[in-house]
Amino acid sequence: MRPIGRAALLTVLAVSAVGPLVLLGLTSVAADWFAPAPWPTTFTADAWRSLAGGGRLVGAVVTSALVAATVGVLAALIAVPIGHAIARLTGWGRRLGLAALYLPVATPPIALGLGLQFAFLRAGLGGTTLGVALAHLVPAASFVGIYFAGVFRATDPRLEDEARSLGAAPGQVWRRVILPPLAREIADGVALGALISWAQVPLSLVIGGGLVHTLPLEVYSYLRSGESRYGAVASLLLIVPPVMILAAGRLAATRVSRYFAPALTGI
Amino acid sequence: MTRDARAGMVAATVIIVPVVVGLLYTASASVGLTGLDAHGLSTARLARVSADSQVWRAIAWTLSTATAGALLALTAAVTLASVVRGTSIGDRAARWLAIVPLPIPHVVAASLGLLVLGESGLLARWTAAAGWVSIARHLPAITLDPWGIGFTLTMAWKETPFLAIVAFAVLATRGAQLDEVARTLGAGRWATFRRVTLPVLVRALAPATIAATVFIAGSFEAPIILGPSDPLPLPVLIWERYGDLDLARRGDAYVLILIAFAIGIVGAAAVSWARRWDLDAETR
Amino acid sequence: MWRGDPSINRYVDEWVAPRVREQYGITLNTVPGEGAELVNDLVVQRDAGRARGTVDLIWINGEAFANLRREHLLYGPWASRLPAAALVDSASPIIARDFEQRPDGYESPWGTVEFALIYDSARTPSPPRSYAALADWIRAHPGRFTHDQGFTGLTFLKGLMYARAGGVARFAGGFDSTRYAVGRDSVLAWLARLTPSFWREGRTYPRDVAELERMFANGEVDFAMSNNENDVVTKVRQGILPATARALVLRDGSIANAHYLAIPYNAPNPAGAMVVADFLLSPAAQYEKQRPEVWADGTVLDRTRLPIEWQRRFAELARDPRAVPDDTLRRYAEPEVDPEYSVRLLDDWRTRVRAAPAPHTR
Repeated sequence: MRPIGRAALLTVLAVSAVGPLVLLGLTSVAADWFAPAPWPTTFTADAWRSLAGGGRLVGAVVTSALVAATVGVLAALIAVPIGHAIARLTGWGRRLGLAALYLPVATPPIALGLGLQFAFLRAGLGGTTLGVALAHLVPAASFVGIYFAGVFRATDPRLEDEARSLGAAPGQVWRRVILPPLAREIADGVALGALISWAQVPLSLVIGGGLVHTLPLEVYSYLRSGESRYGAVASLLLIVPPVMILAAGRLAATRVSRYFAPALTGI
Repeated sequence: MTRDARAGMVAATVIIVPVVVGLLYTASASVGLTGLDAHGLSTARLARVSADSQVWRAIAWTLSTATAGALLALTAAVTLASVVRGTSIGDRAARWLAIVPLPIPHVVAASLGLLVLGESGLLARWTAAAGWVSIARHLPAITLDPWGIGFTLTMAWKETPFLAIVAFAVLATRGAQLDEVARTLGAGRWATFRRVTLPVLVRALAPATIAATVFIAGSFEAPIILGPSDPLPLPVLIWERYGDLDLARRGDAYVLILIAFAIGIVGAAAVSWARRWDLDAETR
Repeated sequence: MWRGDPSINRYVDEWVAPRVREQYGITLNTVPGEGAELVNDLVVQRDAGRARGTVDLIWINGEAFANLRREHLLYGPWASRLPAAALVDSASPIIARDFEQRPDGYESPWGTVEFALIYDSARTPSPPRSYAALADWIRAHPGRFTHDQGFTGLTFLKGLMYARAGGVARFAGGFDSTRYAVGRDSVLAWLARLTPSFWREGRTYPRDVAELERMFANGEVDFAMSNNENDVVTKVRQGILPATARALVLRDGSIANAHYLAIPYNAPNPAGAMVVADFLLSPAAQYEKQRPEVWADGTVLDRTRLPIEWQRRFAELARDPRAVPDDTLRRYAEPEVDPEYSVRLLDDWRTRVRAAPAPHTR
């Protein structure tokens, strides 16, 4: 492609990456920004200042962070053995295993949430933070399972087979042979699970019953009530941490994508 | 099966069980056995819903906008991957920039979509401010529109980083190999792209594109913000029916939820099937 | 509670909550949710056998109250036991009947509102004052009017139905399907003539009232509407509506109703809920709520039963020039009727107007 085409493409990509942050930033301080004004002319920091006093938004950030961290760790814990098992299968077994993992990820979260509402209420999980976390765990563990299936596909099974044939107990095989070289991959898996939980709206809405205030729900709620400044502040709080982590760990993103390739492309 | 495999299967069941439970509950509620306003086994809800043309149009709208959005994202991802595959600073920066919007959730993407593409959105305002007032006045309405153009564009933008990241991975692992082959055969740049790179990329990205379609179709927050009221997108219809003023109608929501589950099942199966379509699938 | 209005949220979160905590040691957590979802959640909870629910106090009226009573999902009766209940203006037809139902102590009144249209005095210096004038205005300004798909839009349509039937009295005294059918057909006829001149030719509608207000503020349409006649005051202060926005009630009549608080059957803390409900009925809380800078929601108290000091303060409550004068409000107020009318009208609107084929083929 000619240099000018490349430059144009780079500009488009830059706008696509930075534009959202700029627009949200502007909206978060715009005192009034009615059409046809192309830019806001008066500003106020009232939405940002409200963060200083604690309150709902800060509470929502904390809740979301706790839930996301929990979901990330639990998802990895569940997903590692699943991914390992599926990677070691062949033919139909593996295909079926992967298809089973695709299912929770593919199901529309609103359907999943409404379908599970009754069971969760029965189990006393309705309206609790734990319930919301468990609900998030369903798509998160599946997605991370697909990821670990890719990870284990790329690792050599011979080392663990040898360890096992030498008489090591299964626990030892895992602790000493399988897991240590995968420390980075496991960290990435936890981050992936956490990200899926961090951005969830319908599951939190249905299972949380409005009692659990997660950050994305606050964004949604502000948007539906026309509070654009608070909505923009909440949106920035929602997207800046993961975007920063992603930007800083670009290498991680490349690594992660390589492991998804097998499950999503068959290569 | 080895012990590890058994452990894996147990863990897999743990994940699948909630989905199956949800599906069974929804199915039994659809025939009136449980749920809101349940009166015992009957196909009344099924009959009412299948006779309602609004439902079929909702499904059609949701699936077609999702497919269009995913295909647009595929085009963008394929273009990006082929163009910026080198190791130069510019290419690496481009790949980095393309991935940065990945974690933006549907709700934020949709609100940005409304802000920019809305009838009194930034696009309209900037066009007018730049002096092209007549153009600004004639810009078509692409939000809350029956074609879902703004919705499709916004979702395509949101899903592109996901497809791009897979595309980059495919070319990184197989790209050099393919270029080598094509060069040996004496093909020019455009021919290489058309005959070698493009088919490989499209086949390799087919499962991910289907996944993107399902993600868009399953989105709830985005169509509420950007979608029309007629046809009403399926997730919005589900929510509306579930909260209907008339208690007796709320049971119909379960049938709609069942349809949504079906989209998920078909989607999962399609992704699984599409993996086999890839060139090297047999050797794995 | 419905959390779609920032001023209400702020009143509850920042004025009520700290005070009930300080005075009674009660921590007030608010949960977003409207009547329909609340009813659903309670039904599902009951079916799942949840003896102990998650919510103590719910903000409802009309159809939600009817549904909850029918399904026996409310705790009570309790409202008449509140000390502050003695101060309520129970003689007012707006308060004594909730959509023609008797609260019977299962819900405690909280505030009153009246439906109003919102217009921009800069864009529309002489707005229409009746449905007939509105119809002419819409035809003269195609693409500049619409209503939302939510509760506010439904109230607009109900007001239209009453006006075309010659007054709400036609529909009083319980639900009658013949009278409903006549009313509905007249609304459909009016809409059939006018929706081609609506925004987007009536092919699509904004989801809820906040979206309509955004469109109004940005000049996409020239009218917004609200179930609370004083919304215009609070929203201009927040910068959500332009400073030139004004409210008006149509001379054919404007629906006024009271909204209430109720306690679910499985409330974990009904005593605490009653304390909060009582606090919300106190003159201090009702006065604060009525202040234009706060929520501008009408009081349910009978001012003549209040101590002189409070009577004075309520009387002095500055009336914002943007709002509709009190006597105008009273003159045109009409009560709600049986909730079944609302339920059917919404359903018929959704199937026959919103989902209908293009206007020229209707």
